[in-house]
Amino acid sequence: MRPFAYTAARTLGQAVEALADGGPGTKVLAGGTTLYDLMKLRIENPPAVIDISRVSELTRIDTSGAELVIGAGARMADVAEHPVVRRDYPALSESLWRAASQQLRNMATVGGNLLQRTRCSYFRGGSAFPCNKREPGSGCSAIDGIDRHHALFGGSQSCIATYPGDWAVALLAFDAKLDVVGPKTRRTIALADLHVEPGSTPQREHTLAADEIIVRIRVPKTAAGRGSTYLKIRDRESYAFALTSAAVGLTIGRRGVIEQSRIALGGVATRPWRVPAAEQSLIGEQLTEATARRAGEVAFAGAKAGHHNGFRIELGIRTVTEALMIARTRATR
Amino acid sequence: MPTRRNFLRGAGAATALVGVETVGSPLTAAALAGDETLRQPYARRVDARDKVRGAVQYGADHVPARLTHAVPVVATIGKGRVVEFDTTAAEAVPGVRLVLTRIPPGELRSAPFIMAGGFAVQGYQPMTSDRVAYRGQMIALVVADTLVAATEAAALVTARYETEPFAVTLDADGTETLLQATVIPRFPDTVMGDADAAYATSPVKLDATYDGPPQHAMPIELLASTVEWQGENLIVRESTQNANAVRHGVAYELGISADRVEVISPSAGGAFGQKNSFQMHLGPLALAARRVGRPVKLVVPRTQTFHAGSFRPASRQRIRLGADRSGRMLAAIHEIDAQTSRHDLFPMQYTELTGRMYDIPDFRGRHQLVRTDAQTPGYMRAPFEHIAAFALESSVDELAYKLGKDPVALRLANDAPTTDPISGHPFTSRHLAECLRRGADRFGWVDRRPGVGSMRAKDGTLIGWGVAVGAYKAATAPATAVLRAESLGRRRCRVTITVDGHEMGQGIRTAITNLITGNLGVATEDVVVVVGDTRGVPPQHSTAGSWGTATALPAIDAAMGKLREQLGLRPSGPIDLPAAMSGRAPVELQARTKAPGQPDDVWDRVAAGGAAGAGPEYPAFTSMSYIAHFVEVRIEPRIRRIRVPRVVSVADCGRVASPVTAVSQVRGGVIWGIGATLREGGEVDPRFGGFLSASLEDYALPVNADIGDIDVSLIDKPDPLLNSVGVKSLGEVSMVGVAPAIANAVWHATGRRVRRLPIRIEDVI
Repeated sequence: MRPFAYTAARTLGQAVEALADGGPGTKVLAGGTTLYDLMKLRIENPPAVIDISRVSELTRIDTSGAELVIGAGARMADVAEHPVVRRDYPALSESLWRAASQQLRNMATVGGNLLQRTRCSYFRGGSAFPCNKREPGSGCSAIDGIDRHHALFGGSQSCIATYPGDWAVALLAFDAKLDVVGPKTRRTIALADLHVEPGSTPQREHTLAADEIIVRIRVPKTAAGRGSTYLKIRDRESYAFALTSAAVGLTIGRRGVIEQSRIALGGVATRPWRVPAAEQSLIGEQLTEATARRAGEVAFAGAKAGHHNGFRIELGIRTVTEALMIARTRATR
Repeated sequence: MPTRRNFLRGAGAATALVGVETVGSPLTAAALAGDETLRQPYARRVDARDKVRGAVQYGADHVPARLTHAVPVVATIGKGRVVEFDTTAAEAVPGVRLVLTRIPPGELRSAPFIMAGGFAVQGYQPMTSDRVAYRGQMIALVVADTLVAATEAAALVTARYETEPFAVTLDADGTETLLQATVIPRFPDTVMGDADAAYATSPVKLDATYDGPPQHAMPIELLASTVEWQGENLIVRESTQNANAVRHGVAYELGISADRVEVISPSAGGAFGQKNSFQMHLGPLALAARRVGRPVKLVVPRTQTFHAGSFRPASRQRIRLGADRSGRMLAAIHEIDAQTSRHDLFPMQYTELTGRMYDIPDFRGRHQLVRTDAQTPGYMRAPFEHIAAFALESSVDELAYKLGKDPVALRLANDAPTTDPISGHPFTSRHLAECLRRGADRFGWVDRRPGVGSMRAKDGTLIGWGVAVGAYKAATAPATAVLRAESLGRRRCRVTITVDGHEMGQGIRTAITNLITGNLGVATEDVVVVVGDTRGVPPQHSTAGSWGTATALPAIDAAMGKLREQLGLRPSGPIDLPAAMSGRAPVELQARTKAPGQPDDVWDRVAAGGAAGAGPEYPAFTSMSYIAHFVEVRIEPRIRRIRVPRVVSVADCGRVASPVTAVSQVRGGVIWGIGATLREGGEVDPRFGGFLSASLEDYALPVNADIGDIDVSLIDKPDPLLNSVGVKSLGEVSMVGVAPAIANAVWHATGRRVRRLPIRIEDVI
């Protein structure tokens, strides 16, 4: 870990100012669970960090209005166990519960989590392994390598690293928006516009400017939120990243007809991956094993397998199917 | 339920229990009868309270004054040589005292491999030449005042390399395959009868190949040493299970007398074979400490452990099993290719299990070593038996299905209850049939429906029930025990025992304390056990191969016998040592024991730091421990995750010297078996060499949520022949057979016969 300057901000204004003044490469530090880790691996080498963990205005959770409003500095554990989030958006709560460990969830923030970087072994493995994301232009070791965990969607010739998070996948399914501030900007972006595919610049992972901070996450309340789940399949029952995951939500009207459906995929793409065609395939249908399976197949229609990850197409289809069957029990309750 | 309890009683030829008691026994009649004085097991670990309070001293816990910290720099190429180092930036980091790169000739020589008559985890000492033998090899060592500075500086050391082609996997171009019997003649292949002919004429034949991945022992406590020069003497505090080899290994490397080295290792936080010898970081560390003139501590970082530590080698086993139509096994041919390194020949003993698990008259084994560009593999818990049992016991399950036989009944019918098929000598004790019967009872095996996919939960979850058995040598090593008894008044007497042994968490202190309190009538808190410390008389021969208890306890038993004699007390039965010692001067005496039939020159070998374990074959008998595992797997209908909600394991380890730690050992072995079967697999990217999965994220171990109910039961019948206390072995046998029991359960649930570990979701989807 290289020496770096450390500034603790007390207010959002101080944080924005310090970030703007910090010079190129300055990073925002929230829970520290990813940034410090990557700094120890020498993947992130910021000359300065601005600690926002003491900025209390960032930690508020407000569920009173027409949207859930979650401060970017709220801890993953606090949001996961928030009673309104659990009741109105089980998918959001579950996506947090199934991430990391309790110790990490106690530290990590819901804003920082959105920007978690890939767990690709070659990316994290250091300079011995060419990686366009870590060292642009050096090549991608994963494309002809051990790609069991790599992306089926959104990859490029430069990079097939999977976006690892769960929370962003659930937020994507429910049209979340982010309020963002910079020294001269104050804007709202759709979560769908936050992450970008690698293309020829895999080092660029999101659309935030270097001087912008995520302030809060807003999620419109919908009936599909109540009829939702986040299903995560992994190599062990806890403390692992997804092989496949699905955030789904359903609204089912009288006579069992699906009126609304939301499906987003995790662990299988270079960014959180929503599948509108699969959602659409369910509208006006009854939810049965067959229609659920068909939605899964539509979701994975464009999947592109590598050498060792092809099984995750069928696994992903089944994950969507299973998630929809779980959501049905909640939607029709 | 009576029907369950009676299940399989009288099922076929193998119902008679062992009859070896007639062979004659050094064990006293009182002990065999379950003498109460020998049976007062302490209810918990003697060090439980200290462990919970964090008071136990591990290898890296010692903080001497003026301590400095070392961090290794490792090679980032698969093989080749270092042409040039640049240490300028590293040396400029504040607090850096030394950047040690290539060690000049004459300052350090490579300690020989422990299995080639030496001391070391491998026979190749990094940094004594420009060689890079494998990715992840240590090429430099940085010493600084703080760990942070050393870490930072280590990352700034750069090396320019010349690369060479390398081969890490069994199938890679450039490996070299050697017939073990030719290149290591003292490890010949096991051959009984004419297996090829008997197999050819067998009415029922099975022929399959099984793949085992490289697996890494990942004890919670990392490889760690703190070294300190006191004048010309070197004090090493290290987490080890072989203080003797550490002492002699570092002395050899430095070219000093072993008398000038002391090794202190009161507790290791898990070892599992990885810490069974001199580690390659220690020589450079001792040299570094001498150069900087301060104590130096090195804790090998977790990611580096994947290349610094020994590992279970990748293997491929072809097994052919012939039987008659009644299920009687007639012939087996077991051929193994397994990985070794370029610089060492790691001897394999897979057929020690397969040759004597059943009464198979015609047997042929063949071991081939495949040289690869990796660190030397080693003895990871049940090193060969875990993998050999996967192949053999999967085949036996297939045989049962082929013949429509119950898998438990088939195993009972092929038991070799009294005679070792390999040596022809009697087994000292073998209660495998009882393990199977009791396990079947406790598991409820009678309710199993044999058809594949025939058992389902209401929600469609597939249920599979599988069984497999395992065995492991009951080995013994020479041991010296020094006993000191010191009166603390009329009612109390302190007994201090110093003995060859190491506490790696398996519970040797508890087992020793149980023996002493039971035998001498002293209180638990008055027993002091010193192990893993070369400053006493016992040389601290390695504690490995599950021989720890069967090695230390007989020596202590002998010392207690001498004490009784010296005090004029009766030779056996209850005594009141506090009363007998009251008013007397302290008594100190020593006794030593060795394996049955071991020649006297074994003491010289131990004194020189060598390995001196014996077994399972002794001159007049063979001694093994046994286990039966019954496993339930559940596989969801859609997602097909494999879960193991319950396991029943029944072990025959001779006398149980410490129930609480013994049961814990088995539970740990079963958990490891679950991990090793369903999760653990080292990934190699052949383009880069080394192990790609070099973190606890990429090398998946099970978490608590993966583990269900584990019901452990111990036969607890003293072995009448092996030693005076009746104990055999337990730590390693406990995981032997878990893999095939799970694989067989997966077959029962799904009809998929998976012959490659780990078995993962893609194998059953």
